[in-house]
Amino acid sequence: MIIVKGLQKRYGSIQAVDHVSLEIPTGHIFGLLGPNGAGKSTSISIMTGLIDADGGSVELDGLEPKSMKARYNIGLVPQSIALYEELTALDNLAFFASLYSLTPDVKSSRIDWALQFVGLQDRANDRVSEFSGGMKRRLNLAASLLHDPDYIFMDEPTAGVDPQSRNKLFDNVMELKELGKTIIYTTHYMEEAQKLCDRVGIIDHGKLLALGTVNELLHQYGGDTKLSISSEKGVKSFSSANVSEDLTNALRDIDKVYDISMNRPDLEAVFLNLTGRQLRD
Amino acid sequence: MKKMIALMLKDFKLLFKDKMAVFFTFIFPLIFALVFGSIFAGDGNGSRALRVAAVDQDQTEQSQQFITELSAADEFKVQLTDEVNAKTLVRKGKLVAYFILPQGFGEDYQSVFSGNAPDILVGIDPSRKAEAGYLEGSLMKLGIKRFENAFTNADALTEQLDRSIIEIEQSDEVPAEWKSLLGDYLPKMRALAQEQQDAGGSISFGGDTEANPMVPLKVTRQDELVQRSGPRNAYSITIPQGAIWAIMGCVIGFAVSLVQEKTLGTMNRLIVAPISRTQIVAGKALGCFVAQVIVVTLLFLVAYFILGVSFDISKLIIAVIASGICFVGLMMFFASLAKTERSVAGMTNAFLIMMGMIGGAMIPLFVMPGWMQAISDFSPVKWAILALEGAIWRNFSYGEMMTPVLILSAIGIVAFILGTRMVKLEDA
Repeated sequence: MIIVKGLQKRYGSIQAVDHVSLEIPTGHIFGLLGPNGAGKSTSISIMTGLIDADGGSVELDGLEPKSMKARYNIGLVPQSIALYEELTALDNLAFFASLYSLTPDVKSSRIDWALQFVGLQDRANDRVSEFSGGMKRRLNLAASLLHDPDYIFMDEPTAGVDPQSRNKLFDNVMELKELGKTIIYTTHYMEEAQKLCDRVGIIDHGKLLALGTVNELLHQYGGDTKLSISSEKGVKSFSSANVSEDLTNALRDIDKVYDISMNRPDLEAVFLNLTGRQLRD
Repeated sequence: MKKMIALMLKDFKLLFKDKMAVFFTFIFPLIFALVFGSIFAGDGNGSRALRVAAVDQDQTEQSQQFITELSAADEFKVQLTDEVNAKTLVRKGKLVAYFILPQGFGEDYQSVFSGNAPDILVGIDPSRKAEAGYLEGSLMKLGIKRFENAFTNADALTEQLDRSIIEIEQSDEVPAEWKSLLGDYLPKMRALAQEQQDAGGSISFGGDTEANPMVPLKVTRQDELVQRSGPRNAYSITIPQGAIWAIMGCVIGFAVSLVQEKTLGTMNRLIVAPISRTQIVAGKALGCFVAQVIVVTLLFLVAYFILGVSFDISKLIIAVIASGICFVGLMMFFASLAKTERSVAGMTNAFLIMMGMIGGAMIPLFVMPGWMQAISDFSPVKWAILALEGAIWRNFSYGEMMTPVLILSAIGIVAFILGTRMVKLEDA
């Protein structure tokens, strides 16, 4: 379990992280959703021990992330492609694996597993500089899994990725969840959060504005569903908090219905309602 | 330690993938040393003649003729002088050797069939084995000319035989059997020479070398230790300079690689991994140090086996370690100041080239004007070159080595401490 309490971080006059508190149960996929500059990466950097917080605390199974024991359990998938482009995929993985005191046999089998996991086993001996953007992203993920960590922090892992590689990455995330891993996933794509995450935290200007399951957030902050009925009486549009009841009532007086359209709220709407801005502003 | 070595090996792999870096770290310094060494090795006119002194103590027609022949030979560039000056010049390394033609040289020189081989004393540093061999061979070639003179000139041969017949008759050293034989043989030969102007033949008088006049010259070698006040050859100067260029290549390469870890984001992986910041920094420093040692070792192997540069190995090790400490520290310092590869490369290049210019990496320290030598004290390059030269040709004692070694170590330690304190590994 990850417990974050009152996390704070300031860069000059900018409050990058402002009293963020949350709990992430083991085996969950937790999404941190927010626009660029909202404080997602800074929060992840503090949670992984990459940078120090000005205030607050982070515990991973009761351990500080900077402790050596905790580090063996942290897998970081950085936002940038953190690989040596002039080395082969295999050389990269061999080097990063060597930082985790693995025995030669374990190291070798973990490298094979990681390459297989991200579908790059056929390109093991190719230089990373020859890879496509999607392949680099997948290798970026593989490099974080070599030591079989329980906590995997993924900082915008699909940035600049083609649809095929994106889907492969989604599959990888779901497979990791099935393996019992706890995943912290930052993104500014609400579709990704909606699709992958058990729980989502919405962050903006360093503040955690809302926290819950996708349904809880939609219900609480998404607003009403937009309904539109086209009939012999014309087009009738209205908002509804209770779709089944309102739709039943609306159809009672209509004999011939041509079309019904329903626009359910999404996390974009949740963000809009919470901040008054679009997620991609 | 394993993690530090893994870091170091990864950096070496990256270094060897970068062909330009390999060129400037390993090949360019060697080219520099070879090209400039070969330019400086010549004396300006392309002559390879050995510079020697000749001392004529005999002052006879024959000794003067021999010195004339010596001066005319392509193998030598002769300076006629007295014994004291000749020895001084050789000891100071200004001339390769001296020849002394002692009294009696001329008499022996013109006696072909009797007397002793003409004596010639050669003074040369015992370590100059190759030059000594070349010199003796060249002298023998000149010595053979006296036989040519004797046998190709009928008058000279007749005169020689007359003199020899008398000398053999009067000699107590020639055995009776030989006297009898020669008393019979030489007059016949004289008669033949008289009849046939071009008569020739091989005549052996036997006996040991010293008493054998048929030996062209009796060369006696005298060891003359050179006072090492200057470099033995041009490579003794250009190899330390080349080493500095190689070290500078390592410093720039590793400073850039440290900053690159930050800009690439790979540093974040290192920080999150169970490896301490000290280990990360030490891994980089170790890589830079080992790279310097490897490249300098390669240069000095070439220098020793191919270019004939000799050195004191233990002092060289001390010099290389001290230089390594200094430049690893500087690498850390510059890496801590810059945020991008371009800025660290530019900054380090500018600093090191300037330090190289005033420190003797381009113009040898000993040919610099006084004011420039004074400025060079501020350059770590000067102290590194001085330490390396101290092990090669300056003949530094261990005490003298301590000055550059301590200065280099102090610069390195201060720069390393400052660098490790200022460097922000998590700047990505």
